[in-house]
Amino acid sequence: MASVILRSRVLTPKYLKQCCAGISTSVSRYSDDVEVAVKQREAPLIRKELALLNSAELEQKRQHEEGTITVDRPSNVSVITGVPEEHIKSRRVRIFMPAKNAMQSGTDNTGQWEMEFETRERWENPLMGWSSTGDPLSNMQLQFSTKEDAIAFCEKNSWPWFVQEEPPKKEAKPKSYGVNFSWNKRTRVSTK
Amino acid sequence: MLRITAQKSLAGAKVSPKHLFPIFSRSSTDVAKKPEKIEVFIDDKPVLVEPGTTVLQAAALVGVEIPRFCYHERLAVAGNCRMCLVEVEKSPKPVAACAMPVMKGWRIKTDSEMTRKAREGVMEFLLVNHPLDCPICDQGGECDLQDQSMAFGSDRSRFTDIDFSGKRAVEDKDIGPLIKTIMTRCIHCTRCIRFASEVAGIDDLGTTGRGSDMQVGTYVEKFFLSELSGNVIDLCPVGALTSKPYSFTARPWETRKTDSIDVLDAVGSNIVVCTRTGDVLRILPRINEDINEEWLSDKSRFAYDGLKRQRLVTPMLRDACGELKPVDWEAALLGVGKVLKAAGGNITAVAGGLADAEALVALKDLVNKLGSEAVCIENSFPLDGSGTDLRSSYLLNNKIAPAEEADLVLLIGTNPRLEAPLLNSRIRKGYVHNETEIAVIGPKIDLRYDYIHLGEDPSIIRQIENGQHAFVKKLKSAKKPLVILGSDTLSRSDGAAILSSVQSLSRGLQDEMCDPEWKVLNILHKVANQVAALDIGYTPDLSKICESSPKVLYLLGADDCGITRADLPDGCFIVYQGHHGDQGASIADAVLPGIAYTEKQATYVNTEGRAQQTLVAVTPPGLAREDWKIIRALSEIVGAKLPYDSLEEIRYRLEEVAPHLTRYGCAEAANYFCEALELGKKTNAPIDTSPLDVKQKTLEDFYMTDVISRASPTMAKCVAAVQKQNLSKY
Amino acid sequence: MLSNIKTVGRLWHKVLSRSLQTSSVLQHDSLFVHRDTPEDNPDVSFEFTPENEKRAEAILAIYPEGHKRAAMIPLLDLAQRQHGWLPISAMHKVADILELPRMRVYEVATFYTMFIRRPIGKYHLQVCTTTPCWLRGSDDILNTIKNKLGIEVGGTTPDCMFSLSEVECLGACVNAPMIQINDDYYEDLTCQDTEEILNELKCGNKPRAGPRNGRFAAEPLGEPTSLKSEPPGPGFGIRSDL
Repeated sequence: MASVILRSRVLTPKYLKQCCAGISTSVSRYSDDVEVAVKQREAPLIRKELALLNSAELEQKRQHEEGTITVDRPSNVSVITGVPEEHIKSRRVRIFMPAKNAMQSGTDNTGQWEMEFETRERWENPLMGWSSTGDPLSNMQLQFSTKEDAIAFCEKNSWPWFVQEEPPKKEAKPKSYGVNFSWNKRTRVSTK
Repeated sequence: MLRITAQKSLAGAKVSPKHLFPIFSRSSTDVAKKPEKIEVFIDDKPVLVEPGTTVLQAAALVGVEIPRFCYHERLAVAGNCRMCLVEVEKSPKPVAACAMPVMKGWRIKTDSEMTRKAREGVMEFLLVNHPLDCPICDQGGECDLQDQSMAFGSDRSRFTDIDFSGKRAVEDKDIGPLIKTIMTRCIHCTRCIRFASEVAGIDDLGTTGRGSDMQVGTYVEKFFLSELSGNVIDLCPVGALTSKPYSFTARPWETRKTDSIDVLDAVGSNIVVCTRTGDVLRILPRINEDINEEWLSDKSRFAYDGLKRQRLVTPMLRDACGELKPVDWEAALLGVGKVLKAAGGNITAVAGGLADAEALVALKDLVNKLGSEAVCIENSFPLDGSGTDLRSSYLLNNKIAPAEEADLVLLIGTNPRLEAPLLNSRIRKGYVHNETEIAVIGPKIDLRYDYIHLGEDPSIIRQIENGQHAFVKKLKSAKKPLVILGSDTLSRSDGAAILSSVQSLSRGLQDEMCDPEWKVLNILHKVANQVAALDIGYTPDLSKICESSPKVLYLLGADDCGITRADLPDGCFIVYQGHHGDQGASIADAVLPGIAYTEKQATYVNTEGRAQQTLVAVTPPGLAREDWKIIRALSEIVGAKLPYDSLEEIRYRLEEVAPHLTRYGCAEAANYFCEALELGKKTNAPIDTSPLDVKQKTLEDFYMTDVISRASPTMAKCVAAVQKQNLSKY
Repeated sequence: MLSNIKTVGRLWHKVLSRSLQTSSVLQHDSLFVHRDTPEDNPDVSFEFTPENEKRAEAILAIYPEGHKRAAMIPLLDLAQRQHGWLPISAMHKVADILELPRMRVYEVATFYTMFIRRPIGKYHLQVCTTTPCWLRGSDDILNTIKNKLGIEVGGTTPDCMFSLSEVECLGACVNAPMIQINDDYYEDLTCQDTEEILNELKCGNKPRAGPRNGRFAAEPLGEPTSLKSEPPGPGFGIRSDL
């Protein structure tokens, strides 16, 4: 019985008790103690929506009611996302860390991983002269905190991917204003 | 305060003041001698930094970005914009973070009332004399001044021009066909001046006048011509220096950016290709500390307009009248296939420098399948000894980045300034910061740094090898010597002898090196994919090709090999596959339109042996198709079907041939230096007496070296500008 | 009706003038870019005279090896004294002597206002018009010169003898008003003194420099007005019981 009745986070034991009692039609419902009621020779209390489930399904049901579902094999949502097959099989995703814009000194929007699809044809719209494309995925911008997240997302959507590793970082050397005026070095600047 | 820091670091490192600067650069090698780190607090976050670190750098360590205009991490500290003022606790005045070294226990406040007020004040002063022409300014959208005035400036202006006297106005300068100047927008950060003087080594820019009449410019009418001049466009934090070819073309938010690799020299600079509607609008550098830092050569940056001109957009076959007529792919492939089949294995393939590794391997597989071994590259390298079998004889073994650490560089028959501008900038960096000495054997050229000219006579190499030359003493005493041999020298008839001589000379130095990672012997290539072609197994013996009288000559982007109809037997069928109608296409019987580097995802290996891939930025024009796919289609028609249908499959084949070709971003080091030397020794050929020469001597020769840059009007303008400058008196 | 037409006309004029209006330009009296002129272009040859070459050597000898560029200002000054003003070829010459990029010399030559980069008269009259001189009548001095020579501020006489500039305080306020002619100060001027000085210069004589009202230097005119008594000896003003 205890294994059949599912625990729920919102149900306190007392409330559970009353619930069970509410479903039961036997006299034992007036008993205060569930243990006592069970000990009485009556048919065990069975939730009818669970009665026909096997153990695996019961486990799933339990997880579902707990709010989490664990799937032990990689999930693949591409079959149900509705993305046309052409945009799954023939695409190639690049997972990369965006480079700093060379034109500016700011470094915002550079520390995270992004994914991008390969470039497809774009053309000038004859009506307005704007840029048109037949590629719905070209405007998808997704950011991930780690490379692994991005890979997992691509795997889930069955997109072939490759990672463009971030270029090596160099340790900053201490800069010195003084070298501009060093006595016998070429760092002595002529511009001032 | 600066002196105290310097002394502190000296006390820890125990070196003479003369070597003060190198401590910082070599600090990684002697960890034991490192001075103790000091603790400072940035916005109450503690951080440990090396003594001498500036406030701005310390803040960067905890992720606090202090606004700046004049400060640039690759240039000297100027400290003149004052935007980086921050409050330091117990200091009565704000300090300039970019120039002030931190002291122990300092509490730096980057967001305090005083700091914000200081920034607002600086911003207000900058804006007083800055025109409000953002709507027509090319920097709009990627302007540091714009962004920082939004972030740190005041929300209202006190600039009321009650006399209607106008803002300060400055005359625009004409500094060449690449850089457009609107000098009124200049905020006098002097980044361009410092770049010109420190990195490019051309002291043509400066400030004239004083006070509110100060202006940045050249004073006289003179172009700012350097192979790296385009970088000042990136450096300029405002719209004073913008790109002339890109002017009024697009806003940064309109363009799509694709990371890619530059193929116009053998450095393999990382670039960002900005596109809109299938047009390449501009090319910007992308930071890669191992290759190009954040610079880009002018050819790589501005030759993109050559991608739209002289393009081959349809397959062509020469008809009975001897004219190339456009045909469809089917006809072209059938036509070429028929000839290939009939050739019976008497086929020769020549690959040019812009051909990607995928096409190279596909073409080699096809030619081999058809029963020929004759696949070669345009340049000839020595085949005696180990030839190009061992990678150590054709790689820039020591890589590009460590070139700045060398203390002695010997350049033999090369002009790195024009052949690989970014390698030259590294050497110059060493020259400025490490007191590197440079010696040259070869013609006297302008490298933008002082060097010892040993002479043009190649026999000097032998003399140095045998220890008879006075220069040997210097070479022996150098801790990190670097010998760079140009590919022009290897193409000489006595290339083998010179190579073997240089190998043995380098070996002698290598044996005395304490650092086994440091490679003395280096070869510098001029074209992008030379290394990949040699890795895949292309042979550098073009001259023998003509002697073998092929029935079919297959040119894969080969435009600079100098083969003419006259060199070939009658009836030889020439197939040209490439993206530009240049010399190759003009002699061809069949033209198969391939695509350029901005249109394909393809592998390129730079001169240091680093595999990198370009990405598709725009779609190919007309009927042009990816090169390896053309060869794959042809193979099916010829009846020698190649076993790969997708990029993944052909990359798998590449991996089979040479695994490093698909390890993108990694430079595969060469090995077998001794073996190459021993094999080379057996040749024992004499060295000619003819003086060493390089093809690219002056800046004029730099701009138009390959099919893309030859088709580029901007590059043509640059050549004209250099010619005009040569006539000028300034 | 007429007034209506007038109004319309005025409005129309306003519209027109609006579209043509430009703000007045704040401009310095000298240019900070170089323009080739017949007098000043890189083809004009400039060489130091043998005496000045010796001087240049002496100047260079002052500065340590590797820092010879510090001699730039003295050398430019030498060139200016030799040529009267500083042509671009003189800057090039100095750059060659110091083995410096030319731009570095242009920077210095344009920074200092005492390097004059355009042809100037033999005598450069610099009239101080800052407050103390102005209170003592520098405007009259200036007008005298203008009338006498027929030039405006910034101008040069057609015979290239005199150039007139207005300058800020030259530090001789106690002898106001004053003008500086080349290297000499002429102080305590009246309009008559000024005319005399100009006449003498025109004749080719060098007028006596210094105060014109009989003073030797900055002492009071006539009798001393203070500290006239004997200086008191030691113990002056000290309590008698000490």
